[in-house]
Amino acid sequence: MIIEFRLNHEKRTIDIDPSARMLDVLRDDFGLTSVKEGCGEGECGACVILVDGRAMNSCILPAGAVCGKSVVTLEGFKHTKRYRAIENGFLKAGSVQCGFCTPGFVMATESLLNENPHPTDEEIKDGLSGNLCRCTGYNMIIQGVRLAIKEGEGLW
Amino acid sequence: MVNGFRPRTLREALQILSANNCTVMAGGTDLMVQRARGFSIRPDFDRPLVFIEPLEELKHSVRENGTLHLGPCMTLSDLLRHPAVPDPLKEIIGMMASPPTRNMATLGGNICNASPAGDTLPWLYAMNAKLKLQSAEKERIVAIEDFITGPKKTILQSDELLTGILVPDTRFHLNRYRKLGQRKGMSLTKASFLGMAEISGNTVTDIRIALGSVAPRIVRAAEIERSMLGRYVGDINAAAAVITERYQPLITPIDDARSTAMYRKKVSLDLIRQFLETLSGSPGTGTKSE
Amino acid sequence: MQFRGQSVKENIGTSILRVDSRKKIRGEAEYIADWKFDGMLYAKTVRSSKAKAAIISITLPEIPEGYAVIDHRDVPGVNRMRTVVSDHPIFAEKDVQYIGQPILLVVGPDRETLYDLAAQIDIQYREEPALFTLEEAEAHSRVFTDYHYKKADPEKYFHKAERIIEDTFSTGYQEHVYLEPQGMAAEFKGDTLFVYGSMQCPFYVKHALIETLAMPEDNVRVVQTVTGGAFGGKEEFPSLNGCQVAVAAHKTRRPVVMIYDRAEDILCSTKRHPAKIRYKAALDKNDTVVALDIDVLLNAGAYNGLSPVVLQRAIFSATNVYNIEHLNVRGRNFMTNTVPSGAYRGFGAPQTIFGIEMLFHTIALKLGLDPLEYKMRHLLKQGDPTCTGGRVHETVKMPEIIQAAVERSGYYDKLRTNKKFQGIGIALFLHGCGFTGKGESQIRGKIVLQKCRDRVILKVSSVEMGQGAETVLRKIVANTLDLPIANVLCEKIDTGLIPDSGPTVASRTTMIVGGLLHDAALEMRARWDEGTQFEVSKIYEHPDYLSWDDETFRGDAYPVHSWGANVAEVEIDPVSYELTVKRITAVYDVGVPIDERALIGQMQGGIVQGVGWATVELMESEGGKLKQGNLTDYKIPTSMDVPDIACYFISNPYEFGPFGAKCAGELPFVGAPPAVAAAVSNAMGCAIRDLPITPEKLMETGHDH
Repeated sequence: MIIEFRLNHEKRTIDIDPSARMLDVLRDDFGLTSVKEGCGEGECGACVILVDGRAMNSCILPAGAVCGKSVVTLEGFKHTKRYRAIENGFLKAGSVQCGFCTPGFVMATESLLNENPHPTDEEIKDGLSGNLCRCTGYNMIIQGVRLAIKEGEGLW
Repeated sequence: MVNGFRPRTLREALQILSANNCTVMAGGTDLMVQRARGFSIRPDFDRPLVFIEPLEELKHSVRENGTLHLGPCMTLSDLLRHPAVPDPLKEIIGMMASPPTRNMATLGGNICNASPAGDTLPWLYAMNAKLKLQSAEKERIVAIEDFITGPKKTILQSDELLTGILVPDTRFHLNRYRKLGQRKGMSLTKASFLGMAEISGNTVTDIRIALGSVAPRIVRAAEIERSMLGRYVGDINAAAAVITERYQPLITPIDDARSTAMYRKKVSLDLIRQFLETLSGSPGTGTKSE
Repeated sequence: MQFRGQSVKENIGTSILRVDSRKKIRGEAEYIADWKFDGMLYAKTVRSSKAKAAIISITLPEIPEGYAVIDHRDVPGVNRMRTVVSDHPIFAEKDVQYIGQPILLVVGPDRETLYDLAAQIDIQYREEPALFTLEEAEAHSRVFTDYHYKKADPEKYFHKAERIIEDTFSTGYQEHVYLEPQGMAAEFKGDTLFVYGSMQCPFYVKHALIETLAMPEDNVRVVQTVTGGAFGGKEEFPSLNGCQVAVAAHKTRRPVVMIYDRAEDILCSTKRHPAKIRYKAALDKNDTVVALDIDVLLNAGAYNGLSPVVLQRAIFSATNVYNIEHLNVRGRNFMTNTVPSGAYRGFGAPQTIFGIEMLFHTIALKLGLDPLEYKMRHLLKQGDPTCTGGRVHETVKMPEIIQAAVERSGYYDKLRTNKKFQGIGIALFLHGCGFTGKGESQIRGKIVLQKCRDRVILKVSSVEMGQGAETVLRKIVANTLDLPIANVLCEKIDTGLIPDSGPTVASRTTMIVGGLLHDAALEMRARWDEGTQFEVSKIYEHPDYLSWDDETFRGDAYPVHSWGANVAEVEIDPVSYELTVKRITAVYDVGVPIDERALIGQMQGGIVQGVGWATVELMESEGGKLKQGNLTDYKIPTSMDVPDIACYFISNPYEFGPFGAKCAGELPFVGAPPAVAAAVSNAMGCAIRDLPITPEKLMETGHDH
């Protein structure tokens, strides 16, 4: 099946099995390895990407579903001011340990703030509840999001 | 390698379904997990896929002549944001899965997957929802309890699509929902309870109770509900244990990786009893609330 | 007595930015699944579907060109994974002992073809009677390891006891759920084998390869790739899958990569040992515990592996922070036909410390005493004998730690004012720093510091796996030498380039390896002007005041301990018995923090893992098959499940630690579970004897009351 979509703001056309997992298409066909496989069943969020600005689990997203949509991975997002605010927040708060979950958390944070620029702590926790982290116990990630909101005031 | 169809209109989608033996793909959050095979491997599909999620005709919700029309291809996130969606349903959806999954999963998918743990089902059962099933040739409207025939089993034909979800626009003053999961965030349901009641002058004028994950299908007992209509809330309170006992044979849960049959049954019955006992403290009764 | 580094800097604890964060946030860190090799083949493992069986026949489908099957006949050397007990076959030979045991690999260029080929392989088994549970294994005396030690004269004190109290506690499996699943790759460059992957212990993997591939040491190199969490799960296991890919690369002469998906990882990787601990306590007329009989049973699974040393830490931690005069301690590892258990943060200690904390809690309640006051009666002090007859050499600040935990949490106020279904509980705990017994003196870790003009390169085998080792080790050297951290670099973790400073385990990295680096840096500082390029190396020497006898288990099992107290606050839903851990107040003595933010990250993460094990992380095996085989069924805490956590540190510099630092990584895991259990006990008014505390179990316990 021919699939046309935008990937990190560039128009792309691929001929591919529409049932292929978007995770594999991004990693294998486009070399976008910030997208990680942690569970393969939508439970851990390490593969979260943005589709039309919203977080989705690419491991359970069939390639055929992105026709005509805009897909953004961390590779495409990391050149933005919003990213910079998130990066600084995560750096300063100590949000990162092993790092395998981190790209997913960055993308989930963007999706959350895009929809709700001033979330409460409970809303941050809910917004990140699809992303598992086994190292930090989450509090320092939540703190990272708070710092990002502060630094990025007005960007979302 | 399977093929795929990307219809632009509902009509086109129905034509594809009547001409081909296809697998319908909405959000994919259940199907892609059920068919997953392993690390970096395509899932196991043997029929062409029809991608219906983008169909605009299936993404509208409106309130019209006492009926709430919910679009089957609306994602759970769409529903959370939509002004026509009643709060009790939003409360349920807000506790489902996680934001990335809610951004993908559709209401129609939750219905057609027909899992006893499908979280929107107790509400749809309790609200007497009807489903519109359409094929290229015909359309039919069925009650949700007739649509789902067992775990993962429905009467949907291979050339049919679920194209409408019709919910009588009934409001209840008292809504109580409890979802029991293994943890607070992102959990499949071990057992769920939904109780809704309307009370006027200390008398029950309408009451609905639905339970998820505790039987092959959603548990709702119209007869028991009817027996409570017109009764004083104080009587219901006094008879709560007896009424709850009538639910006993209907609740037939299993042991699995997530919970035990005994726990599911006891907690479900306790939640029913607690709901019945607190009716007397609810709005419309004029007594002090709990 | 002056502790090392006192003269150098006062502000070592001040937090700095982690050196590896930015790359990870940008998604640019390359984990093994992100690596590509020219001409690489993928590998898929075919595993046993039977818990115990003889393999009668293996029928292969037609194997297409470019694909190969690798089994035990392809192993050039020893077909056993080298570890403490080298009993796990690299590939099964005539029999299988657990569901998921590796039998052979299929390798080839296309992953889907591999899956299809693997599915077509027909293995015929003759099933044999299997044992699955600790109870069954005990009834059949299927014992791998049986340890015993004694202190003073327990028989006499049991004989003259005023009162004898018996109790039994148990704990379940725990899956590590490092976010990055296991993955290894191997390739030959000429005669030299390179193995790459996600691991904690590059030299463990190297030594395993030398034996399995029968290759000379100089021709084997192991390279650690960015490791996405480990927690003990990548301690011994990578030696197994590392050997498998190496045998495949040896046979095919092509690079071979093997990455697990989560279900395969859960199926076959090691887990925390399920445990049962039986206690018999002799009380004197003042209700003080004067003698204890402790019987520790661990489920080791189908192979013993490194379970003996897990058992050692379990039994040497069995009296926790208490001074019990007379002791009789037995520990046994049992063989069952289940997936092997292995290293997991805490290494046997969380099981026995949960047990004894709940024992003291339960005895106190039985006697109508305040659990904390009762525990404090038995506290170890400096100079007291340890359970193995060594000495508590360090200053013990438990009274201060406890006071801080009680005050910061409002413990006694809440104990009074809590309503039913609200609970508060306290746990006291310690963790022995570094290897058990002679471990450190046998390994004799080496490190090298190399000066290159204004830069210094540190060469160690301690890996960064998320815990912050790279930042902390560089910081120790930079602070000692007064250099910016950017001028202190870590050599790549490649066994061809670094000395063996020991594995990244046992909370030993900061204290032992960091201590060696600190010594080397002090020497380099003194000799700084000797030249633009020179090296300083150090080899670990066990402090000579410590003694240990491996035969009798007498002496100092650990050089020093880190200590702590946790207060947990919980709420329980009266209808559904759902448990909410609201708050954890944690106070620790880890000597001196090297980097406070990195340390708090370790503490919070460890607490949440411990809370997970104590509450939601239910994993059960039925007929040798795990009931929770994926992350939909096996639940770890999410952001919505974590309690508020407040961490405090009591400074207590350790003479032999860098800047006074002791161990930290495992300590937080040990303390949280018994604190939660004590709080639940308080909320429900019943004893808690089994982890995890699920609503299902609470419903039954709550009923009993």
